[in-house]
Amino acid sequence: MPVIEVSKLGKDFSAGRARVRALADVSFSVEEGQFVTLVGPSGCGKSTLLQILAGLIAATSGEARIEGERICAPMPDKIGMVFQDPTLLPWKTALANVEFPLDLRGIDRTARRKRCAALLELVGLSEFADHYPHELSGGMRQRVAIARGLAQDPRLILMDEPFAALDEQTRTRMGHDLLDIWAKTGKTVFFITHSLTEAIYLSDVVLVMSPRPGQVIDTIAIDFPRPREVDIIGSEAFGRIRNRIWHLIAEAPA
Amino acid sequence: MQWRIIKAFAIAAAAMALWEAVVRLDLVSQIILAAPSHIVLAAAQDGGVFLHAFATTSIEIGAAIVIAWTLGIVLGVVAGSSHTLAAATAPVLSSIFAIPLIILYPLLMAWLGIGPLSKVVFGVLSGFFPIALNTIDGVRAIERRYLVFARSIGATKFQTYARIIFPLALPAMISGLRVGTGLVVIGVVVTEMLASLGGIGYLISYHRTLFNTGHVYFGIMLALVMSVAVNIGLTWLDRRIGLWRMREQAEG
Repeated sequence: MPVIEVSKLGKDFSAGRARVRALADVSFSVEEGQFVTLVGPSGCGKSTLLQILAGLIAATSGEARIEGERICAPMPDKIGMVFQDPTLLPWKTALANVEFPLDLRGIDRTARRKRCAALLELVGLSEFADHYPHELSGGMRQRVAIARGLAQDPRLILMDEPFAALDEQTRTRMGHDLLDIWAKTGKTVFFITHSLTEAIYLSDVVLVMSPRPGQVIDTIAIDFPRPREVDIIGSEAFGRIRNRIWHLIAEAPA
Repeated sequence: MQWRIIKAFAIAAAAMALWEAVVRLDLVSQIILAAPSHIVLAAAQDGGVFLHAFATTSIEIGAAIVIAWTLGIVLGVVAGSSHTLAAATAPVLSSIFAIPLIILYPLLMAWLGIGPLSKVVFGVLSGFFPIALNTIDGVRAIERRYLVFARSIGATKFQTYARIIFPLALPAMISGLRVGTGLVVIGVVVTEMLASLGGIGYLISYHRTLFNTGHVYFGIMLALVMSVAVNIGLTWLDRRIGLWRMREQAEG
Protein backbone atom coordinates (compact mmCIF):
# COMPACT_ATOMS: atom_id res chain seq x y z
CA MET A 1 0.00 0.00 0.00
CA PRO A 2 1.43 3.41 -0.91
CA VAL A 3 2.09 5.77 1.99
CA ILE A 4 0.59 8.70 0.11
CA GLU A 5 -2.06 8.23 -2.52
CA VAL A 6 -3.51 11.27 -4.23
CA SER A 7 -6.12 10.99 -6.94
CA LYS A 8 -7.71 13.73 -9.00
CA LEU A 9 -7.21 16.22 -6.22
CA GLY A 10 -8.54 19.73 -6.81
CA LYS A 11 -8.65 22.85 -4.67
CA ASP A 12 -10.45 26.12 -5.35
CA PHE A 13 -10.10 29.27 -3.32
CA SER A 14 -12.55 32.11 -3.46
CA ALA A 15 -10.77 35.43 -3.74
CA GLY A 16 -13.49 38.05 -3.43
CA ARG A 17 -16.04 37.16 -6.08
CA ALA A 18 -13.62 35.22 -8.25
CA ARG A 19 -12.76 31.58 -7.74
CA VAL A 20 -9.13 30.67 -8.10
CA ARG A 21 -8.19 27.16 -9.06
CA ALA A 22 -5.10 26.33 -6.98
CA LEU A 23 -4.89 22.64 -7.79
CA ALA A 24 -6.46 20.70 -10.65
CA ASP A 25 -6.53 16.98 -11.09
CA VAL A 26 -3.40 16.17 -9.13
CA SER A 27 -2.64 12.45 -8.96
CA PHE A 28 0.46 10.63 -7.70
CA SER A 29 1.52 8.16 -5.09
CA VAL A 30 4.51 7.75 -2.81
CA GLU A 31 5.76 4.34 -1.73
CA GLU A 32 7.03 3.47 1.71
CA GLY A 33 10.60 4.58 2.35
CA GLN A 34 10.80 6.81 -0.71
CA PHE A 35 12.16 10.33 -0.78
CA VAL A 36 9.84 12.24 -3.08
CA THR A 37 10.13 15.92 -3.85
CA LEU A 38 7.56 18.22 -5.30
CA VAL A 39 9.19 21.03 -7.23
CA GLY A 40 7.64 24.03 -8.89
CA PRO A 41 7.72 27.82 -9.07
CA SER A 42 6.39 29.99 -6.26
CA GLY A 43 2.62 30.15 -6.20
CA CYS A 44 2.07 26.88 -8.08
CA GLY A 45 0.07 25.37 -5.26
CA LYS A 46 2.84 23.28 -3.67
CA SER A 47 2.08 24.48 -0.18
CA THR A 48 -1.66 24.09 -0.72
CA LEU A 49 -1.08 20.46 -1.63
CA LEU A 50 1.08 19.93 1.43
CA GLN A 51 -1.53 21.50 3.69
CA ILE A 52 -4.15 19.14 2.30
CA LEU A 53 -1.87 16.16 2.94
CA ALA A 54 -1.27 17.44 6.47
CA GLY A 55 -5.01 17.60 7.08
CA LEU A 56 -4.85 21.34 7.72
CA ILE A 57 -7.20 22.29 4.87
CA ALA A 58 -9.76 20.29 2.92
CA ALA A 59 -9.64 19.56 -0.81
CA THR A 60 -12.46 20.74 -3.06
CA SER A 61 -12.51 17.57 -5.15
CA GLY A 62 -10.75 14.25 -5.45
CA GLU A 63 -9.18 12.51 -2.51
CA ALA A 64 -5.93 11.98 -0.67
CA ARG A 65 -5.05 9.03 1.53
CA ILE A 66 -2.25 8.42 3.98
CA GLU A 67 -1.52 4.75 4.59
CA GLY A 68 -4.90 4.00 3.08
CA GLU A 69 -6.78 6.33 5.39
CA ARG A 70 -8.65 9.25 3.91
CA ILE A 71 -7.32 12.54 5.25
CA CYS A 72 -9.83 14.73 7.04
CA ALA A 73 -7.84 16.03 10.01
CA PRO A 74 -4.19 16.20 11.08
CA MET A 75 -2.74 12.77 11.86
CA PRO A 76 0.13 13.49 14.25
CA ASP A 77 0.93 9.83 14.84
CA LYS A 78 1.28 9.19 11.10
CA ILE A 79 2.75 12.44 9.85
CA GLY A 80 5.62 14.52 11.19
CA MET A 81 5.87 18.03 9.84
CA VAL A 82 8.77 20.40 9.29
CA PHE A 83 7.97 23.92 8.17
CA GLN A 84 10.03 26.59 6.46
CA ASP A 85 10.25 28.39 9.78
CA PRO A 86 11.39 26.09 12.61
CA THR A 87 8.60 27.50 14.84
CA LEU A 88 10.34 26.45 18.03
CA LEU A 89 8.94 27.59 21.36
CA PRO A 90 11.35 30.31 22.54
CA TRP A 91 11.03 29.52 26.24
CA LYS A 92 11.95 25.87 25.84
CA THR A 93 15.37 24.31 25.37
CA ALA A 94 16.22 22.32 22.25
CA LEU A 95 15.48 19.07 24.06
CA ALA A 96 12.21 20.36 25.53
CA ASN A 97 11.14 21.50 22.08
CA VAL A 98 11.71 18.03 20.67
CA GLU A 99 9.82 16.56 23.61
CA PHE A 100 6.90 18.94 23.29
CA PRO A 101 4.64 16.81 21.04
CA LEU A 102 5.17 13.80 23.33
CA ASP A 103 4.64 15.97 26.39
CA LEU A 104 1.23 17.00 25.04
CA ARG A 105 0.31 13.36 24.56
CA GLY A 106 1.09 12.70 28.20
CA ILE A 107 4.07 10.45 27.62
CA ASP A 108 6.10 9.81 30.72
CA ARG A 109 9.01 12.18 31.22
CA THR A 110 11.86 9.68 31.42
CA ALA A 111 10.66 7.74 28.40
CA ARG A 112 10.28 10.80 26.23
CA ARG A 113 13.54 12.32 27.42
CA LYS A 114 15.47 9.21 26.44
CA ARG A 115 13.82 9.02 23.06
CA CYS A 116 14.26 12.73 22.30
CA ALA A 117 17.88 12.83 23.41
CA ALA A 118 18.52 10.07 20.86
CA LEU A 119 16.76 12.13 18.18
CA LEU A 120 18.89 15.16 19.01
CA GLU A 121 21.92 12.95 18.62
CA LEU A 122 20.62 11.77 15.26
CA VAL A 123 20.46 15.35 14.02
CA GLY A 124 23.90 16.07 15.50
CA LEU A 125 22.86 18.37 18.34
CA SER A 126 23.54 16.32 21.48
CA GLU A 127 25.76 19.03 22.86
CA PHE A 128 23.08 21.67 22.39
CA ALA A 129 20.25 19.90 24.21
CA ASP A 130 20.11 22.57 26.92
CA HIS A 131 20.41 25.55 24.60
CA TYR A 132 17.50 27.85 23.90
CA PRO A 133 16.45 28.58 20.31
CA HIS A 134 17.99 32.06 20.39
CA GLU A 135 21.34 30.48 21.20
CA LEU A 136 21.24 28.30 18.08
CA SER A 137 22.01 29.12 14.45
CA GLY A 138 19.31 28.97 11.79
CA GLY A 139 20.50 25.56 10.61
CA MET A 140 20.59 24.21 14.16
CA ARG A 141 17.05 25.38 14.81
CA GLN A 142 15.88 23.57 11.72
CA ARG A 143 17.66 20.43 12.94
CA VAL A 144 15.74 20.70 16.20
CA ALA A 145 12.54 21.04 14.15
CA ILE A 146 13.44 17.89 12.20
CA ALA A 147 14.07 15.98 15.43
CA ARG A 148 10.73 17.25 16.73
CA GLY A 149 9.03 16.09 13.52
CA LEU A 150 10.39 12.61 14.22
CA ALA A 151 9.35 12.63 17.89
CA GLN A 152 6.02 10.87 17.51
CA ASP A 153 7.70 8.25 15.31
CA PRO A 154 5.52 8.82 12.24
CA ARG A 155 6.25 6.83 9.11
CA LEU A 156 5.90 9.91 6.92
CA ILE A 157 7.64 13.28 7.19
CA LEU A 158 6.21 16.25 5.29
CA MET A 159 8.71 19.05 4.72
CA ASP A 160 7.62 22.43 3.42
CA GLU A 161 10.69 24.21 1.99
CA PRO A 162 12.55 23.54 5.25
CA PHE A 163 15.88 24.95 4.07
CA ALA A 164 14.61 27.91 2.05
CA ALA A 165 15.58 30.46 4.71
CA LEU A 166 19.15 29.18 5.08
CA ASP A 167 22.28 30.33 3.30
CA GLU A 168 23.50 28.15 0.47
CA GLN A 169 26.36 26.37 2.24
CA THR A 170 24.20 25.54 5.24
CA ARG A 171 21.42 24.47 2.92
CA THR A 172 23.62 22.04 1.01
CA ARG A 173 24.93 20.59 4.24
CA MET A 174 21.47 20.24 5.70
CA GLY A 175 20.38 18.37 2.58
CA HIS A 176 23.31 16.02 2.89
CA ASP A 177 22.59 15.39 6.57
CA LEU A 178 18.90 14.96 5.90
CA LEU A 179 19.71 12.10 3.51
CA ASP A 180 21.75 10.57 6.28
CA ILE A 181 18.87 10.86 8.76
CA TRP A 182 16.48 9.48 6.17
CA ALA A 183 18.74 6.48 5.53
CA LYS A 184 19.08 5.77 9.25
CA THR A 185 15.39 6.07 10.10
CA GLY A 186 13.86 4.56 6.96
CA LYS A 187 11.07 7.16 6.97
CA THR A 188 9.11 8.17 3.92
CA VAL A 189 9.82 11.82 3.07
CA PHE A 190 7.63 14.12 1.03
CA PHE A 191 9.61 17.29 0.43
CA ILE A 192 8.65 20.58 -1.15
CA THR A 193 11.12 23.01 -2.65
CA HIS A 194 11.53 25.48 -5.46
CA SER A 195 15.20 24.61 -5.83
CA LEU A 196 15.75 22.20 -8.72
CA THR A 197 19.23 21.29 -7.48
CA GLU A 198 17.95 20.43 -4.02
CA ALA A 199 15.10 18.38 -5.48
CA ILE A 200 17.34 16.28 -7.75
CA TYR A 201 20.10 15.83 -5.19
CA LEU A 202 17.75 14.57 -2.48
CA SER A 203 15.09 12.56 -4.23
CA ASP A 204 14.19 9.16 -5.58
CA VAL A 205 11.38 10.79 -7.50
CA VAL A 206 10.80 14.41 -8.47
CA LEU A 207 7.26 15.55 -9.17
CA VAL A 208 7.25 18.62 -11.38
CA MET A 209 4.40 21.05 -10.86
CA SER A 210 3.14 23.81 -13.11
CA PRO A 211 1.22 26.81 -11.82
CA ARG A 212 -2.34 28.07 -12.23
CA PRO A 213 -3.87 25.64 -11.82
CA GLY A 214 -1.29 23.51 -10.05
CA GLN A 215 -0.81 20.25 -11.88
CA VAL A 216 1.81 17.53 -11.79
CA ILE A 217 3.20 17.74 -15.33
CA ASP A 218 5.94 15.13 -15.01
CA THR A 219 7.29 12.48 -12.70
CA ILE A 220 11.03 11.99 -12.95
CA ALA A 221 12.86 9.07 -11.36
CA ILE A 222 16.34 10.02 -10.14
CA ASP A 223 18.61 7.01 -10.05
CA PHE A 224 21.93 8.32 -8.82
CA PRO A 225 23.31 5.67 -6.49
CA ARG A 226 23.13 6.22 -2.75
CA PRO A 227 24.67 7.30 -0.51
CA ARG A 228 25.07 10.42 -2.59
CA GLU A 229 27.87 12.91 -2.27
CA VAL A 230 27.44 16.61 -2.92
CA ASP A 231 29.86 16.27 -5.89
CA ILE A 232 27.16 14.76 -8.11
CA ILE A 233 25.55 18.20 -8.35
CA GLY A 234 28.36 19.22 -10.72
CA SER A 235 28.08 16.13 -12.92
CA GLU A 236 26.86 16.15 -16.50
CA ALA A 237 24.02 13.72 -15.83
CA PHE A 238 22.81 15.97 -13.01
CA GLY A 239 22.87 18.99 -15.32
CA ARG A 240 20.85 17.14 -17.95
CA ILE A 241 18.08 16.34 -15.50
CA ARG A 242 18.05 19.88 -14.23
CA ASN A 243 17.75 21.26 -17.75
CA ARG A 244 14.94 18.90 -18.47
CA ILE A 245 12.96 20.02 -15.42
CA TRP A 246 13.79 23.63 -16.11
CA HIS A 247 12.32 23.40 -19.62
CA LEU A 248 9.24 21.63 -18.35
CA ILE A 249 8.55 24.47 -15.94
CA ALA A 250 9.58 27.23 -18.34
CA GLU A 251 7.35 25.93 -21.12
CA ALA A 252 4.31 25.47 -18.95
CA PRO A 253 1.88 28.39 -19.35
CA ALA A 254 2.65 30.78 -16.52
CA MET B 1 32.20 48.22 51.05
CA GLN B 2 31.36 48.67 54.72
CA TRP B 3 32.53 52.23 54.51
CA ARG B 4 29.85 52.87 51.90
CA ILE B 5 27.13 51.51 54.15
CA ILE B 6 28.32 53.67 57.01
CA LYS B 7 28.35 56.67 54.71
CA ALA B 8 24.82 55.96 53.52
CA PHE B 9 23.60 55.72 57.12
CA ALA B 10 25.39 58.91 58.03
CA ILE B 11 23.75 60.78 55.18
CA ALA B 12 20.32 59.42 56.11
CA ALA B 13 20.84 60.35 59.76
CA ALA B 14 21.96 63.84 58.80
CA ALA B 15 18.91 64.30 56.58
CA MET B 16 16.63 63.16 59.41
CA ALA B 17 18.30 65.53 61.83
CA LEU B 18 17.92 68.40 59.41
CA TRP B 19 14.28 67.47 58.81
CA GLU B 20 13.67 67.33 62.58
CA ALA B 21 15.42 70.67 63.08
CA VAL B 22 13.47 72.43 60.34
CA VAL B 23 10.21 71.52 62.09
CA ARG B 24 11.43 72.10 65.65
CA LEU B 25 12.74 75.56 64.78
CA ASP B 26 9.33 76.37 63.28
CA LEU B 27 10.81 77.10 59.88
CA VAL B 28 7.90 75.11 58.45
CA SER B 29 4.51 74.74 60.10
CA GLN B 30 3.92 71.42 61.86
CA ILE B 31 0.63 71.11 60.01
CA ILE B 32 2.45 70.98 56.69
CA LEU B 33 5.49 68.96 57.68
CA ALA B 34 5.64 66.43 60.49
CA ALA B 35 9.01 65.88 62.12
CA PRO B 36 10.42 62.33 62.14
CA SER B 37 9.78 62.24 65.89
CA HIS B 38 6.10 62.99 65.28
CA ILE B 39 5.85 60.06 62.92
CA VAL B 40 7.49 57.75 65.44
CA LEU B 41 5.15 59.07 68.09
CA ALA B 42 2.12 58.42 65.87
CA ALA B 43 3.35 54.87 65.27
CA ALA B 44 3.81 54.35 69.02
CA GLN B 45 0.39 55.78 69.86
CA ASP B 46 -1.74 54.14 67.19
CA GLY B 47 0.48 51.41 65.76
CA GLY B 48 -2.16 48.75 66.39
CA VAL B 49 -4.87 50.69 64.60
CA PHE B 50 -2.58 51.33 61.65
CA LEU B 51 -1.52 47.70 61.51
CA HIS B 52 -5.14 46.63 61.40
CA ALA B 53 -5.83 49.16 58.62
CA PHE B 54 -2.75 47.96 56.78
CA ALA B 55 -4.14 44.41 56.86
CA THR B 56 -7.55 45.56 55.63
CA THR B 57 -6.08 47.47 52.72
CA SER B 58 -3.67 44.65 51.85
CA ILE B 59 -6.53 42.16 51.69
CA GLU B 60 -8.60 44.52 49.52
CA ILE B 61 -5.68 45.09 47.18
CA GLY B 62 -4.79 41.39 47.07
CA ALA B 63 -8.36 40.39 46.24
CA ALA B 64 -8.67 43.11 43.60
CA ILE B 65 -5.36 42.09 41.98
CA VAL B 66 -6.37 38.43 41.75
CA ILE B 67 -9.77 39.28 40.26
CA ALA B 68 -8.45 41.96 37.88
CA TRP B 69 -5.70 39.65 36.58
CA THR B 70 -8.04 36.72 36.13
CA LEU B 71 -10.79 38.69 34.40
CA GLY B 72 -8.38 40.72 32.30
CA ILE B 73 -6.35 37.74 31.13
CA VAL B 74 -9.31 35.44 30.47
CA LEU B 75 -11.27 38.07 28.58
CA GLY B 76 -8.13 39.19 26.78
CA VAL B 77 -7.24 35.68 25.61
CA VAL B 78 -10.80 34.89 24.54
CA ALA B 79 -11.31 38.20 22.71
CA GLY B 80 -7.79 38.11 21.27
CA SER B 81 -8.30 34.67 19.73
CA SER B 82 -11.04 35.87 17.42
CA HIS B 83 -10.49 38.59 14.90
CA THR B 84 -14.14 39.68 15.07
CA LEU B 85 -14.33 39.62 18.85
CA ALA B 86 -11.08 41.59 19.15
CA ALA B 87 -12.32 44.18 16.65
CA ALA B 88 -15.59 44.49 18.59
CA THR B 89 -14.18 44.66 22.13
CA ALA B 90 -10.84 46.46 21.90
CA PRO B 91 -12.22 49.90 20.91
CA VAL B 92 -14.92 49.69 23.61
CA LEU B 93 -12.41 48.68 26.28
CA SER B 94 -9.95 51.40 25.33
CA SER B 95 -12.65 54.09 25.36
CA ILE B 96 -13.79 53.00 28.81
CA PHE B 97 -10.15 52.98 29.91
CA ALA B 98 -9.94 56.64 28.89
CA ILE B 99 -12.77 57.62 31.29
CA PRO B 100 -11.73 58.81 34.77
CA LEU B 101 -13.42 55.85 36.44
CA ILE B 102 -13.54 57.61 39.80
CA ILE B 103 -16.70 59.41 38.59
CA LEU B 104 -18.44 56.05 38.86
CA TYR B 105 -17.49 55.57 42.50
CA PRO B 106 -20.58 57.32 43.94
CA LEU B 107 -22.69 54.77 42.05
CA LEU B 108 -20.61 51.86 43.32
CA MET B 109 -21.03 53.22 46.83
CA ALA B 110 -24.78 53.37 46.41
CA TRP B 111 -24.88 49.81 45.08
CA LEU B 112 -22.33 48.13 47.32
CA GLY B 113 -22.07 50.33 50.41
CA ILE B 114 -18.93 51.96 51.77
CA GLY B 115 -17.36 48.73 53.04
CA PRO B 116 -14.45 46.77 51.54
CA LEU B 117 -16.58 45.32 48.70
CA SER B 118 -16.89 48.67 46.91
CA LYS B 119 -13.10 49.16 47.26
CA VAL B 120 -12.33 45.78 45.76
CA VAL B 121 -14.77 46.29 42.89
CA PHE B 122 -13.35 49.73 42.15
CA GLY B 123 -9.82 48.33 42.32
CA VAL B 124 -10.77 45.63 39.82
CA LEU B 125 -12.36 48.22 37.53
CA SER B 126 -9.21 50.32 37.67
CA GLY B 127 -6.84 47.50 36.80
CA PHE B 128 -8.92 45.39 34.45
CA PHE B 129 -8.82 47.48 31.27
CA PRO B 130 -5.08 47.81 30.65
CA ILE B 131 -4.63 44.12 31.46
CA ALA B 132 -7.37 43.04 29.05
CA LEU B 133 -6.21 45.40 26.31
CA ASN B 134 -2.59 44.30 26.45
CA THR B 135 -3.59 40.65 26.55
CA ILE B 136 -5.73 41.11 23.44
CA ASP B 137 -2.79 42.76 21.67
CA GLY B 138 -0.45 39.99 22.80
CA VAL B 139 -2.70 37.23 21.52
CA ARG B 140 -3.44 39.06 18.25
CA ALA B 141 0.30 39.38 17.62
CA ILE B 142 0.92 35.62 17.69
CA GLU B 143 1.94 34.43 14.26
CA ARG B 144 -0.28 31.94 12.49
CA ARG B 145 2.58 29.48 12.07
CA TYR B 146 2.42 28.63 15.77
CA LEU B 147 -1.25 27.70 15.46
CA VAL B 148 -0.58 25.61 12.35
CA PHE B 149 2.20 23.87 14.25
CA ALA B 150 -0.15 23.22 17.19
CA ARG B 151 -2.70 21.58 14.91
CA SER B 152 -0.08 19.53 13.12
CA ILE B 153 1.09 17.88 16.35
CA GLY B 154 -2.49 17.18 17.38
CA ALA B 155 -2.69 19.64 20.28
CA THR B 156 -6.16 19.93 21.81
CA LYS B 157 -7.82 23.33 22.00
CA PHE B 158 -7.04 23.60 25.68
CA GLN B 159 -3.40 22.62 25.14
CA THR B 160 -3.09 25.16 22.35
CA TYR B 161 -4.31 27.92 24.66
CA ALA B 162 -2.46 26.85 27.80
CA ARG B 163 0.84 25.66 26.34
CA ILE B 164 1.28 27.82 23.24
CA ILE B 165 -0.96 30.90 23.03
CA PHE B 166 -0.77 31.91 26.69
CA PRO B 167 3.03 31.75 27.04
CA LEU B 168 3.52 33.46 23.68
CA ALA B 169 1.26 36.33 24.77
CA LEU B 170 2.86 36.60 28.20
CA PRO B 171 5.53 39.20 27.35
CA ALA B 172 2.85 41.58 26.04
CA MET B 173 0.59 40.76 28.98
CA ILE B 174 3.23 41.76 31.51
CA SER B 175 3.17 45.41 30.48
CA GLY B 176 -0.59 45.40 30.99
CA LEU B 177 -0.11 43.75 34.37
CA ARG B 178 2.39 46.42 35.41
CA VAL B 179 0.08 49.30 34.57
CA GLY B 180 -3.06 47.51 35.76
CA THR B 181 -1.69 46.40 39.12
CA GLY B 182 -0.44 49.89 39.87
CA LEU B 183 -3.91 51.21 39.11
CA VAL B 184 -5.49 48.62 41.43
CA VAL B 185 -3.41 49.91 44.35
CA ILE B 186 -4.29 53.50 43.54
CA GLY B 187 -7.98 52.66 43.10
CA VAL B 188 -8.29 50.91 46.44
CA VAL B 189 -6.43 53.56 48.46
CA VAL B 190 -8.20 56.49 46.78
CA THR B 191 -11.67 55.08 47.38
CA GLU B 192 -10.75 54.40 50.99
CA MET B 193 -9.92 58.08 51.28
CA LEU B 194 -13.21 59.15 49.71
CA ALA B 195 -15.58 57.26 51.98
CA SER B 196 -15.00 54.19 54.07
CA LEU B 197 -14.86 52.56 57.48
CA GLY B 198 -11.28 51.35 57.51
CA GLY B 199 -8.00 50.94 55.71
CA ILE B 200 -4.89 53.03 55.29
CA GLY B 201 -6.57 55.53 52.98
CA TYR B 202 -9.31 56.04 55.55
CA LEU B 203 -6.79 56.70 58.35
CA ILE B 204 -4.80 59.17 56.24
CA SER B 205 -7.94 61.07 55.38
CA TYR B 206 -9.29 60.91 58.96
CA HIS B 207 -6.14 62.21 60.59
CA ARG B 208 -5.75 64.91 57.98
CA THR B 209 -9.07 66.41 59.02
CA LEU B 210 -7.82 66.42 62.63
CA PHE B 211 -4.49 67.98 61.61
CA ASN B 212 -2.62 64.98 63.08
CA THR B 213 0.17 65.47 60.59
CA GLY B 214 2.39 62.80 62.18
CA HIS B 215 -0.35 60.21 61.71
CA VAL B 216 -0.91 61.32 58.13
CA TYR B 217 2.78 60.89 57.34
CA PHE B 218 2.85 57.48 58.99
CA GLY B 219 -0.15 56.42 56.90
CA ILE B 220 1.52 57.67 53.74
CA MET B 221 4.62 55.67 54.58
CA LEU B 222 2.58 52.50 55.00
CA ALA B 223 0.84 53.11 51.66
CA LEU B 224 4.28 53.53 50.09
CA VAL B 225 5.41 50.23 51.60
CA MET B 226 2.47 48.57 49.86
CA SER B 227 3.25 50.10 46.48
CA VAL B 228 6.90 49.18 46.79
CA ALA B 229 6.02 45.57 47.69
CA VAL B 230 3.68 45.28 44.69
CA ASN B 231 6.34 46.79 42.47
CA ILE B 232 9.00 44.38 43.67
CA GLY B 233 6.68 41.47 42.88
CA LEU B 234 6.03 42.81 39.38
CA THR B 235 9.69 43.43 38.70
CA TRP B 236 10.48 39.86 39.69
CA LEU B 237 7.76 38.60 37.33
CA ASP B 238 8.92 40.91 34.57
CA ARG B 239 12.47 39.70 34.89
CA ARG B 240 11.44 36.05 34.67
CA ILE B 241 9.31 36.71 31.62
CA GLY B 242 11.77 39.24 30.22
CA LEU B 243 14.30 36.45 30.01
CA TRP B 244 12.46 34.72 27.25
CA ARG B 245 11.17 37.88 25.71
CA MET B 246 14.82 38.25 24.71
CA ARG B 247 14.91 34.70 23.51
CA GLU B 248 11.85 35.29 21.40
CA GLN B 249 13.35 38.38 19.81
CA ALA B 250 16.46 36.41 19.01
CA GLU B 251 14.39 33.78 17.26
CA GLY B 252 12.12 36.31 15.49
